[in-house]
Amino acid sequence: MAEILLSEAEKAYIHHGVQDDLRCDGRTRLDYRPIILETGLVSNASGSARLRLANSDILVGVKVELASPLPDKPKEGRLEFFVDCSANATPEFEGRGGEDLANEICRFLQRSYASGDTINLSELSVLTGQQCWVLYVDILILECGGNLYDAVSLAVKSALYATQIPSIKVATMDGDQPELELSDDPYDTKRLNTENIPCVVTLMKIGNHYLVDPTPEEECCSSSGIVVAVSGNKKITAVRKIGSGSLHPDSLVSMLKTGSEVGAVVNTILMKKLLEEETLEVSQKVGFMR
Amino acid sequence: MLTSKVFLRKTKRGKVLKVVREHYLRDDLWCGSELCKKCGQENSDVLDKSPVSSSTLCAFPHYIVIDTNIVLHQIDVLESPAWKNVILLQTVLEETRKRSTNNYKKLREIMATRKDSFYVFVNEHHKDTYVERKPGESANDRNDRAIRKACSWYQTHLEESQKGTDKKKQIKVVLLTQDFKNREQACNEGIPTYKVDEYVKSLKDFPDLQEKLAASHSESNNENREPLYPEHLAPTRIMSGIKSGKLLQGVFHSSRENFLEGTVSVEGQDKSILLQGHASLNRAVDGDVVAVELLPEDKWTSPSGIVLEDQEEQDPGDEIEKEEKLLIDSTKSKDRQPTGKIVGIIRRKWRQYCGILLPSVLPEGTRHLFVPAERKIPKIRIETRQAVTLSSQKIIVAIDSWPRTSRYPLGHFVRALGNIGDKDTENEVLLLEHDVPHHSFPETVLACLPSMPWMITEEEVNRREDLRHLDICSVDPPGCTDIDDALHFRELSPNLYEIGVHIADVSHFVRPDTALDKEAANRGTTVYLVDRRIDMVPELLSSNLCSLRPDQERLAFSVIWQVTADAEIQKTRFTKSVIRSRRAFTYAEAQCNIDDSLQQNELAKSLRGLNKLAKILKKNRMDKGALQLSSPEIRFEVSTETNDPIDVISKPMLDTNSMVEEFMLLANISVADHIFKHFPECAVLRRHPVPPASNFEPFLKAGKTQGFTLDVSSNKALAASLDAAVKPDNVYMNTMLRILATRCMMQAVYFSSGTVAQVDFYHYGLAAPIYTHFTSPIRRYADLLVHRLLAVAVGADVTYTELLNRKCAQQLCNNLNYRHKMSQYAQRSSVALHTHLFFRHRVQDEDAYVLFVRQNALQVLIPKYGLEGSIYLKGNDGDSKLDFVYNPDEPSQTCGNVTIRTFDRVVVQVSLDSKYVQHQKIAVHLVHPKIAGLSVDAIEIPKTDEPRTKKLKGGK
Repeated sequence: MAEILLSEAEKAYIHHGVQDDLRCDGRTRLDYRPIILETGLVSNASGSARLRLANSDILVGVKVELASPLPDKPKEGRLEFFVDCSANATPEFEGRGGEDLANEICRFLQRSYASGDTINLSELSVLTGQQCWVLYVDILILECGGNLYDAVSLAVKSALYATQIPSIKVATMDGDQPELELSDDPYDTKRLNTENIPCVVTLMKIGNHYLVDPTPEEECCSSSGIVVAVSGNKKITAVRKIGSGSLHPDSLVSMLKTGSEVGAVVNTILMKKLLEEETLEVSQKVGFMR
Repeated sequence: MLTSKVFLRKTKRGKVLKVVREHYLRDDLWCGSELCKKCGQENSDVLDKSPVSSSTLCAFPHYIVIDTNIVLHQIDVLESPAWKNVILLQTVLEETRKRSTNNYKKLREIMATRKDSFYVFVNEHHKDTYVERKPGESANDRNDRAIRKACSWYQTHLEESQKGTDKKKQIKVVLLTQDFKNREQACNEGIPTYKVDEYVKSLKDFPDLQEKLAASHSESNNENREPLYPEHLAPTRIMSGIKSGKLLQGVFHSSRENFLEGTVSVEGQDKSILLQGHASLNRAVDGDVVAVELLPEDKWTSPSGIVLEDQEEQDPGDEIEKEEKLLIDSTKSKDRQPTGKIVGIIRRKWRQYCGILLPSVLPEGTRHLFVPAERKIPKIRIETRQAVTLSSQKIIVAIDSWPRTSRYPLGHFVRALGNIGDKDTENEVLLLEHDVPHHSFPETVLACLPSMPWMITEEEVNRREDLRHLDICSVDPPGCTDIDDALHFRELSPNLYEIGVHIADVSHFVRPDTALDKEAANRGTTVYLVDRRIDMVPELLSSNLCSLRPDQERLAFSVIWQVTADAEIQKTRFTKSVIRSRRAFTYAEAQCNIDDSLQQNELAKSLRGLNKLAKILKKNRMDKGALQLSSPEIRFEVSTETNDPIDVISKPMLDTNSMVEEFMLLANISVADHIFKHFPECAVLRRHPVPPASNFEPFLKAGKTQGFTLDVSSNKALAASLDAAVKPDNVYMNTMLRILATRCMMQAVYFSSGTVAQVDFYHYGLAAPIYTHFTSPIRRYADLLVHRLLAVAVGADVTYTELLNRKCAQQLCNNLNYRHKMSQYAQRSSVALHTHLFFRHRVQDEDAYVLFVRQNALQVLIPKYGLEGSIYLKGNDGDSKLDFVYNPDEPSQTCGNVTIRTFDRVVVQVSLDSKYVQHQKIAVHLVHPKIAGLSVDAIEIPKTDEPRTKKLKGGK
């Protein structure tokens, strides 16, 4: 991740702030920075979302396509993640510079969605063993402002929430050749149940305390932390440790506990906000023209 | 302002795509009304300031907005000048384009010709009239809403401009639509709306317009009738049926001889599928693409032996059972062929048909039957009030629909062509029927012609080979003005001759990509009617500048060979040249020159040399297996005053005919070889496919009855067995066999060499491995293409992209093949027409030969007129029974002691049956042999002699 140069004094200042539960930007340890979220701004995609968490800027597009299901899961569709770190975010991402980070995030997303509790993949099945929907989730990191995991997971969830899957009917079966019929009404679509899709919470340990939603400066001061994926029903679906330092089992347990609590809250708030956005009077999309 | 349109699309490969199009809304689209002060338009005069309403239904001044369903179903009505101040919405245009390209094209034409009456309002891009599709709304509903929105926008927009005017004089916008729901909703929104038929009927200045209203389905009064025909399957079911192989897709051809029979030719199948009876034909019209279901094999049958014409002289109402019986009763021969029934129509090939009205018992009535000129098309029921005036005219009618409850398709009157029997009218009919472009050449085309007086420039002469010193002459039929070929012959040394074939260099005048070129490519060929020629290129070129007239210097494309006395080619050379023909012979003149040994001038000597070589060439060709086929060809002697035919002569075949033909063939083959060598991918060639064995069946059968075993395994074998099949007592029999053989042949076609495997280049009739048309560029476009290719090959001209594009070439070829076929049909119809005219005032006894023996008729050929006719074996007075015994195996008909078999010679009386003035046809009656109750008396002592009569009476 993008390294920031900090002097010892600056680090000490951050340390002390965390200790006193008052961070540089005025937050407590368990506070998030403000989030700006908008869905449906990429009209070509089946679903999209753009999320800005302070300076972290994420754009997610979901594209649905018909394909044949995997042989071992004939009744399920699937999700494919792809993360692209734009060189706009930091010059280090130029060329293949962002690839490691992208793979890391991608793998973690895959792992956190792998649990059966998160998303019902059988909803994506069109015709058992023959046709299913594949959701290609393309994540574009436009700017790094710390706490990428959380930002990405929220954006992905929002995009999936907004995704509209065309309704398709199996019109005739002729021999074993299915004839798929597409509804001619662009509004005739179905949505996924995104209730339980996990949100990711990153907890960073600084000194003896841990905090959520670290800024890049705080990430710099921390030697270790964990990333927890928490599904809508408060279950942890994936955990990953980051940083080179070690963690005491006691603090690990307490971090997991806090993580799942925070995750559940984030999840409810996100769902509430998404619902709110939908009921808004139709308005112009804001997009990047702000 | 920008919005975007989103829709989903399924690709051919089954992917689902989300398509997003940007859609710009504008605020500077004017309303087009002269009255409007708000819009920034200048000089808009499409929509009048004070429109005059001629409708009694809405007497107030109004503009009209029409809905898509009117364009789709009532396009002919819109052509009328009655329509003024019409607002065409873009929504309507786009919907029309999507639903029917044909109607869209017609609408564009109407819009182009009547610019002052139709205003196109781009409502989809106007910021105030654009509507977005709502969730759950169908595309159709959305369009209806857009139309209503535009109507109400106009209404308020116009109101603002005419504040203060008298309420009664204010212009309103009237919506015409056939859609009940749309009408209802428009009413709710306060838009005055009517059905188009209501509106048209209320136009007091145009009472005739309602004739053109297409019969609407919902209002036909036979809603509650028992359906006569089985249902058609839905398109999706047809598609899946075809995919699974349960149904077959093919083109429907109805039979000429029996209106209750037809065949469907399925691609990739040798035998076509037979259909019999109304239910199996199921409302298909000749040319339609249909879906057929095969019957189980035990229900297969064979074509019935009877000749059946839909002879109802009056509207029989909606009944079909009686005729079916006729069909079932007829005896069938043993060999059966795949039989099926039509279950659905994939694509209608309906066009407009020429024909006449059937005289009705109630001429004042409105429902009448229309009889198309083309026998393969069923009668059409139309509604008209002008039956009395139209009954003596040829008219054009379009089919609208064919509901299950109606015996005949429903249609409407389009326009009248002129009086029946008028030669101009009849000519017009046959040109229209055969889709021959016969309008005069437009200005743009004429602009491409060289200016007169025209001279060959010095420059041009230098570029070409100067052959003016050669003794070149042309040999053509008498009266020919478009001379496109000329010949020369020269002795180089005792055993070496030089022969030249010089073809008019049309490609010098018709340059690629000019308007002239496009027009010629579209026309494809010159069409020769009996009394008229429809040129492919303007007359200045065809009869003057290109025509190789005698004693005039002309540009030519020459093929020059050096041959030995055995007609062996030593050297072939192609060159652009300048020539001066010494003389234009007719065939007869040339023949005289050859035969008259007193003639010792250069030209006569040349002709003799050419003739000698031609005979050798012909023999070589015959040895290779070329066919000598026969089709009766006749020529009319036309009276100079009335232009009516006064006599008929068969075209004589002279040595010189075959001499010219021989050298043309040689030139064509040489050129074909050469251009194929240079352009293996895009050479324009001509091939004549080997006919499939099944084609020969009637021919073999006919041969068998005469006791000949005919071998059709190859063209050589066929030629040999045709030569062997001679009967000394029936000289014409061989010709008849050749006529039959001609009918078994496939059509020869033009093609681009890149599209066909080289083995298939074979020309069956000429037994040539490669062939093209080079020698008649004045009258055939294919030759012109070949000229261009050859010119490039010999370095005399440059290429252009279309010439070398295999796809373009094939597309051109397809058009040429179509035009060529149609022009042949038109020429035949023209001959038939003149035969009619010829017999108008005479009755004649003629020799005839039996072509086919059917169960209820004899089909005879009268060689003198090349005319075919049917003698129905049912007695003169209608229902008196004649005891004819039909033997389907031989086939023969026996009555008493007279037996008639295929190819027998009979004497018939030919006359014009003018029982119905409107529907004249040639009637053929048997004179000899005498059969009581059937034959008629000879009007003069027939020239037939005793022995022949004996043979006929000989019987079994």
